[in-house]
Amino acid sequence: MTRVIEVPAHFDDRSFDAFAGGFGEWPPEEKVLLDARSTQWASPYGLIGLLTAGQALAEAKREKPLLTVPTSDEVKRYWARAGFFHHAADLFELHGKVPRATTTGPSDVLLDVTPVRASEDVHSVVDKISEGASRILHGELGLEMKATLRFSMALSEACQNIVEHAGTSGWVAVQAYTFRRRLGRRVVVIAVSDGGVGFRRSLESTHAKRFGERWGDGAALEAALIQGVSRFRDPGRGQGLAFIKRFLDQWEGKISIRSGTARLSIIPPWDEDIPLSENLAYFPGAQVQIIIPAQGAEPR
Amino acid sequence: MIQTIRIGHLLREAAAAPYRNLVTRPTGAAVRIRIEEALAGSTCMTALLDFSGIELVDLSCADEVVAKLLLAVRTAYFVVLQGLREDHHEAIEHVLVHHRLAVAAMPPDSREPRLLGWVRADARRAFACVCDHGPLAVPNLCGVLRWPEPRGRAALNDLALHRLVRPMGELYHPLPTA
Repeated sequence: MTRVIEVPAHFDDRSFDAFAGGFGEWPPEEKVLLDARSTQWASPYGLIGLLTAGQALAEAKREKPLLTVPTSDEVKRYWARAGFFHHAADLFELHGKVPRATTTGPSDVLLDVTPVRASEDVHSVVDKISEGASRILHGELGLEMKATLRFSMALSEACQNIVEHAGTSGWVAVQAYTFRRRLGRRVVVIAVSDGGVGFRRSLESTHAKRFGERWGDGAALEAALIQGVSRFRDPGRGQGLAFIKRFLDQWEGKISIRSGTARLSIIPPWDEDIPLSENLAYFPGAQVQIIIPAQGAEPR
Repeated sequence: MIQTIRIGHLLREAAAAPYRNLVTRPTGAAVRIRIEEALAGSTCMTALLDFSGIELVDLSCADEVVAKLLLAVRTAYFVVLQGLREDHHEAIEHVLVHHRLAVAAMPPDSREPRLLGWVRADARRAFACVCDHGPLAVPNLCGVLRWPEPRGRAALNDLALHRLVRPMGELYHPLPTA
């Protein structure tokens, strides 16, 4: 028996829940086939979500999943340019013709899909992003120059969450694109994902008691993002997400974190998302998305 | 006597790589350990931590390098930062406020130190006054600021507690920076 899970045609943070629902009970007993043939577009969140699924299945000692690649040549080329297939080849049995990655692709990929396994990887990510980030954030999005460094700090802190809390490795990707549906402006999106223990299990031993019966994935996300708690007793911990949140307030940016069966978002005025969604389909680890929109532009 | 410690040099030594960004907790902890080793082997009472050539200081490193160093050396050394860019201030200020700590920082092209972090408003005014006038006793400070003596004494004691001035007899000296 093979469980076929359709990758949404427009694969982003919103359609991710339907994708997660396809796995049923986690980890699924059957062999999994991820069918991306009809996929027309995937955000960085979608791309690294796919890799996280592949990695989490491998770590759950399940049979290597299959992935049928998009039919559209344009979509395939984009995924190749973003570095997706390079990593997917290790995690999936790929079906369909995969184009070779070229370096002359879209310049709005600020950071290819990149694995985050240790703090050295965080250094590499920050080193790699600095030049392109300045071009996009200052040049295209109209953010002040110092925003580039804040952006790099936010990226560093988000990636460190994997190294410090996930108990496994993860993925990061950064991309600029026009957010037509919700905003009508250019945005930069940071997506970070891992298939590790998730926020609830990471914080359980130190914080569950305080929440009593309310304790769960949603309460754990609230504790981390709103209250700035950490599993470490070190009083200097837990400041990273608070700092990111403060920056995003200034830029009308958005952060959303999905972990286990819940998603918590800090919602800017331009978005109509729900702050806390609970009882979602389970997906392992944590998936973080940070969106920074162009400043001062009227929505198109 | 002042010991200048070049953070960029320690970063490359600790990471064994040509990094220019001070990011991640393990990196910050490794740099702090090297600073502590340098201070342990020194007879200087003031450490000038030079951040020149550092591109980015993230929150984790600001906490590991600056906040934890101040917590650890509170009773032994005076610490002054230099070579900080404006954008470095933000991360350092954030973690110091979180811990209710403060440090003096020398801005580039200026002889007036800047106070980063958290101190009471009176202590902040007293700090500026000591930096401006040089060594001051409580009555001198109170004369300049037109404060009653208990207020001036409390402000200077506060600064001494944060290791932001050096008390010697009746006088409170600004920290040496050159």
